[in-house]
Amino acid sequence: MKKLLIGATFLTAIVGLNLTAGALERQAQNTLVEAPRFEVDPMWPKPMPNGWLLAETIGVGIDARDHVWIVHRSDKLSADEAGAAQNPPTASCCRPAPPVLEFDTDGTLLRSWGGPGQGYDWPISNHGIFVDHKGIVWIGGNGGSNGGKGDGQILKFTQDGKFVAQYGSAQQTQQAASNDTTHFGRVAKIFVDPRANEAYVADGYLNKRVAVIDADTGAFKRYWGAYGNKPDDTNMGAYDPDAPLIQQFRSPVHCADLSVDNLVYVCDRPNNRIQVFTREGKFVKEQQIAKRTGGDGSIWDVAFSKDPQQKYLFVADGKNERIYVLVRETLEVLTNFGDGGRQPGQFFAVHSIVTDSKGNIYTTETYEGRRLQKFVYKGIGKVPRTQGVVWPGK
Amino acid sequence: MQRRVAVPMGVLAVVLMGSTPIMSSRSRVAAQTRAAASAAPAFQADPFWPKPLPNHWILGSVTGVAVDARDHVWIVHRGLDSLNTRTESGLSTTPPTAEDCCLPAPPVLEFDPAGNLVSHWGGPGQGYDWPATPGGIAIDAKGNVWIAAAGWPEPPAPRGGGAGRAGRTGGAAGGAGGAGAAPAPPPPPARPADAHVLKFSPTGQFLQQLGKPGLTESNASKTSFNRPANLEFDAAANEIYIADGYGNRRVVVVDATTGAYKRHWGAYGAAPEDTAPAAYDPAAPAAKQFRAVTCVTLAKDGMVYVCDRGSNRIQVFDKTGKFVKEASVAKATLSNGSVWDITLSIDPQQRYLFVADGQEHQVLIVDRASLQTIGTIGTGGRIPGRFNAVGSVAMDSKGNLYTGETFEGKRVQKFTPGR
Repeated sequence: MKKLLIGATFLTAIVGLNLTAGALERQAQNTLVEAPRFEVDPMWPKPMPNGWLLAETIGVGIDARDHVWIVHRSDKLSADEAGAAQNPPTASCCRPAPPVLEFDTDGTLLRSWGGPGQGYDWPISNHGIFVDHKGIVWIGGNGGSNGGKGDGQILKFTQDGKFVAQYGSAQQTQQAASNDTTHFGRVAKIFVDPRANEAYVADGYLNKRVAVIDADTGAFKRYWGAYGNKPDDTNMGAYDPDAPLIQQFRSPVHCADLSVDNLVYVCDRPNNRIQVFTREGKFVKEQQIAKRTGGDGSIWDVAFSKDPQQKYLFVADGKNERIYVLVRETLEVLTNFGDGGRQPGQFFAVHSIVTDSKGNIYTTETYEGRRLQKFVYKGIGKVPRTQGVVWPGK
Repeated sequence: MQRRVAVPMGVLAVVLMGSTPIMSSRSRVAAQTRAAASAAPAFQADPFWPKPLPNHWILGSVTGVAVDARDHVWIVHRGLDSLNTRTESGLSTTPPTAEDCCLPAPPVLEFDPAGNLVSHWGGPGQGYDWPATPGGIAIDAKGNVWIAAAGWPEPPAPRGGGAGRAGRTGGAAGGAGGAGAAPAPPPPPARPADAHVLKFSPTGQFLQQLGKPGLTESNASKTSFNRPANLEFDAAANEIYIADGYGNRRVVVVDATTGAYKRHWGAYGAAPEDTAPAAYDPAAPAAKQFRAVTCVTLAKDGMVYVCDRGSNRIQVFDKTGKFVKEASVAKATLSNGSVWDITLSIDPQQRYLFVADGQEHQVLIVDRASLQTIGTIGTGGRIPGRFNAVGSVAMDSKGNLYTGETFEGKRVQKFTPGR
């Protein structure tokens, strides 16, 4: 009799579980997890002078003093946004800010420069910014149209905007050449390894590889494709979430960042995956996130937490408008924050992400987002799996 | 409240940006000099109003803002037709291209004073023609919601093409993210020009439609409009004033209960003509006709303030349409013009007009007696307290200012009085 009762109770429990599976799933979603916490600072950065506006803000970097460097496409403002820059002017405000901008930790604009000049080819469409251990500012470019000419170069400048070097030639014919060792194919991002003095190039919008060059000479050292394969430029068609994962990257290869333990984290954006490699390009592991995402894909940029082990990996998803917080070792997604919108802590195409020495996160938004935002590190704490906007006091 | 205490100095900096010496614009510095002399009211942006929308909803271009008797804030926005499905609303396509975000919010949204979304409705339905593009919104004494239908007969103009307040629809977003970009979505099918205004109950039940899309008739029509931009309720006379509009060049007054036509007038109180004036030229004599009539706002003393946006001017009338005076605002402004919408301060004398200048990306504070600009709020930008195409303004009973941004602004912002 007792056994029967237990059985009946168990059966009831099973039925109950089935009936409330959705509710349980939601409950699981709301389970608190321990993770780094952040709060948006709506007052950072400070307003820029001169009626300057940001357009598509397509890269963010950090220097040794925790100054924040961004690059944006100043030619992308609409006529009605940049009324003062029209001929004749349609209004007394506003005009594009120069493409490269440096903000101090308070969010005050310091240096500003960039654009075409003598001795180098400014990109048709600048993309990505990195400040290396020698203080050099690196910029990529993803401009060009299929069949026409496009960006095949990387640029280096001093922090005052003085031209230092150009690697790869501009005005390349727009054909993918992922096994070419003389120029690039529309570079998304650069990351310089201070220990080996090598630059990792996410290459790119045309090519389908990670390229590594000498950071002083630009000499090609090695390159690889997905899973460490030799890159193959065959058009693999659009991403299909129900098809097997392909053995090549899908353009754009959007980031290639090196961790303290010498692992390279690559954003295979339209494949919705992160692939991890050794510095030599040996495949280690991979992780898909939001795998049903189409279009631009979910893996736009990565940044590391600032603890000595870099325990966490932050991933910007400009399609689903949120930042994922991953355990770097397992690539498990712990939580995410952000949502779509134009208010603080919301995003429109969050494109680039970086952390400073205090653990704060900075993000930039492209398309019509056109912002630089700061998320203040608030220590490790309990957060829901899906946080939504991270407003103070929320 | 705690968060407001935490941020005011920063917010102040944002709002007062236009007054700082690093601004290169001589006109703005001068405006602020006048502001200091005449003590124009100061405001702070509240970066955390309204609260986040549910369901991964986002706003399209906001075309109207109004405040009701309970200080609830009503907005109307363009929704999907102003959003880019590739970059902005990936859940709107079939199949969706995003997993999590975003979707357009319903076109009409009501927020309580704390910024909570308390109701939402709108869109096509039985018995009425939802606007191709909404314009302004007004609330009458019964809490009924009036919406102007300001939409365009032709496919929307390309970005930056001076499409006017109705703005552009989402297209290819200029190649950011570049390769693999989907082609721009096909232009929407041609629709007849909006020529009507709509009246709904507070819960969104359709009550009445005046005018019919495509039947624009003329500036003399007593039954139809031509892309009316905005409207205003006059409780004293139970009348609705209609800024008519983008197509016509007049103010029309109708009975708020029956919708019956009562009167109309053009610039200087004259009969409006169907022929459009030449393109605005700051050096030319003032046009005898309105260009784009984008607002009509009533003061408690019976004065009627009309936005002649394309002419950068405010014209003032009595309620019968008798011309009283006019003033140019930011006279050198080209393109869409400077005077987009007007609301009045809440002091008994209503000493100030707040003028949305979406071309200059700021709100002008205008002394009502002299019609002189005495201060500004905000400038261009996407951070709190700044603007992209601010086209709508409204004020609640506490003196809080609410703004709606169209084009790529796509925000509603709240500004609280005080430093």
